[in-house]
Amino acid sequence: MRDIIKLEGISKQLGKREILRDVSFTVKQGDIFGYLGPNGAGKTTTIRILLGLLQLTSGKATILGEDVSRDEARRKVGFVLESDGLYDNKTAEENLWYYARIYGMAKPAERIDRILNLVELWDRAKDKVGTYSKGMRQRLALARAMTHNPELLVLDEPTAGVDPSGQIEVREVILNMAYKEERTIFLSSHNLDEVQRICNRIALIDRGEIKLYGELEQLRREMSGNKVEIETTEAITEPLFSELKSLSHLGLRERKDKTLIFVPQEGIRVPDIVSLLVRRGVEIEEVSRKKASLEEIYSAILKEVEPS
Amino acid sequence: MKGMPVVLQSDVWDILHSKGFLIVAIIIGIFTIGAAVGVPLSLNTWLGTELSWQETKPLLELSMGLAVNYVPLLVLFTCTAIWATEPIAKEKAKGPIESLLATPLTAKAVWIGKSLAIFLPAYIIGFIATLIVILAMNLAYILPATGHFVLPLPEALTCFLFLPLLMFALISLGVIFSLVTNPVIGQTIIIFVSVLLLQVVGQVGGRLWWLLASWEYALYNLAGAILLGTIAFYLSRSLSKERIILSSKGRWA
Repeated sequence: MRDIIKLEGISKQLGKREILRDVSFTVKQGDIFGYLGPNGAGKTTTIRILLGLLQLTSGKATILGEDVSRDEARRKVGFVLESDGLYDNKTAEENLWYYARIYGMAKPAERIDRILNLVELWDRAKDKVGTYSKGMRQRLALARAMTHNPELLVLDEPTAGVDPSGQIEVREVILNMAYKEERTIFLSSHNLDEVQRICNRIALIDRGEIKLYGELEQLRREMSGNKVEIETTEAITEPLFSELKSLSHLGLRERKDKTLIFVPQEGIRVPDIVSLLVRRGVEIEEVSRKKASLEEIYSAILKEVEPS
Repeated sequence: MKGMPVVLQSDVWDILHSKGFLIVAIIIGIFTIGAAVGVPLSLNTWLGTELSWQETKPLLELSMGLAVNYVPLLVLFTCTAIWATEPIAKEKAKGPIESLLATPLTAKAVWIGKSLAIFLPAYIIGFIATLIVILAMNLAYILPATGHFVLPLPEALTCFLFLPLLMFALISLGVIFSLVTNPVIGQTIIIFVSVLLLQVVGQVGGRLWWLLASWEYALYNLAGAILLGTIAFYLSRSLSKERIILSSKGRWA
């Protein structure tokens, strides 16, 4: 897979304040990359650097191999920024035509129709954007980002301030863009549930530094602390629970109704635990390796870096 | 400068469809009609109808000079005062400027596009208003009274070329300030210099009236345009996307 975004040790200083410090990560082709962090962590600054709006203090940033400060890099990127940037006094069609012409598209009519269909705004295409709801505006901003057929979409909190049904619509549009249109997506968000649902890779930034970066599924497994959940048909008896608890190598941590949670020591395999339980007459309903939720990962990482 | 014409066209469209345009059109319409009717009537009352061409030529040229200096200046001033910075302030506050700069457009293309978008409609309106006043003065009074059409070349160049150039330089300077600082500063600069120019024309008309129809006065206007244009060009070298973005977030770099 090609590298779509590559940040190598980038830093940004504004006055005496260091906004980004040695930030490095790579976004691969086809990724839906979640960029997480609390307010003021440096997410928007990173996005502004990617879009050539702010200059780097040090380091190297490229999009599809082009330096982010070059116009060529910006031709390959579509974006939705914190504020949608739409013109209220223009219709949806006029907004898209404006940007299509800025990107030098010769005959954008067909493309604009297709994109308005994709975001399901074709029936409101001739209405002034000032009359749109927040959700519709975000969908139109996504359409604008797609107008010139870019390979990469950079989205800064695209569902912020949108009501729940609007959020679902916006998410569907993003997924359509990722899978139907086969675009790489860089998504900055506060919404952990949203990121967990749609992103395959993440980076977590706090106070200008990357604290965590990698494949989401792998991180969830790693951060779960090797927890194994075994669900039984009947709740186990107290003597059996005590016996299992005394076998410290099994690492029985918790009992929740019919569910037992183990954190086995190294060398202990899940089938060994299962066979022991079966030997004790326990009927097993389900065995699963627990994955940490993104919220758990986020809290754990941010707690680690909190000043004492 | 790729994409600059797109910004220009869009901004002109916005200006033409704004309430501000209607206000400007009404103000200038009233002013132009007033001047087109009032000036020939005043000249008629002042000089009468039986004129000796040789005796009254300098006086008529000076009257024309006063009119053709004031009319375009007032029109350009009114237009720029109303259109110059409010759209930029709105774009900076609501976000379109950031989206615009995230495209392959350069900061200079945005600057030139926005400056021309303010200047061109103002110039066209000023051109029409000045032409109406010149024609009204000549056709309603000077031509019937003397048999001559009065519009000396220095005056024609001043009102149709040098003065508009001066205003364009001023607008582009104001737009730079609006983009990289608070738009109010840009507007203040435009209004301050425009009022200064109106004052100069007033003073020249009152005390140095013989200058109005001269080449010197035309060249002063050209020199002013070159001076302001040079300042704007010099300042434009420091125009960057980062400066515009930071200023729209209240940080002036």
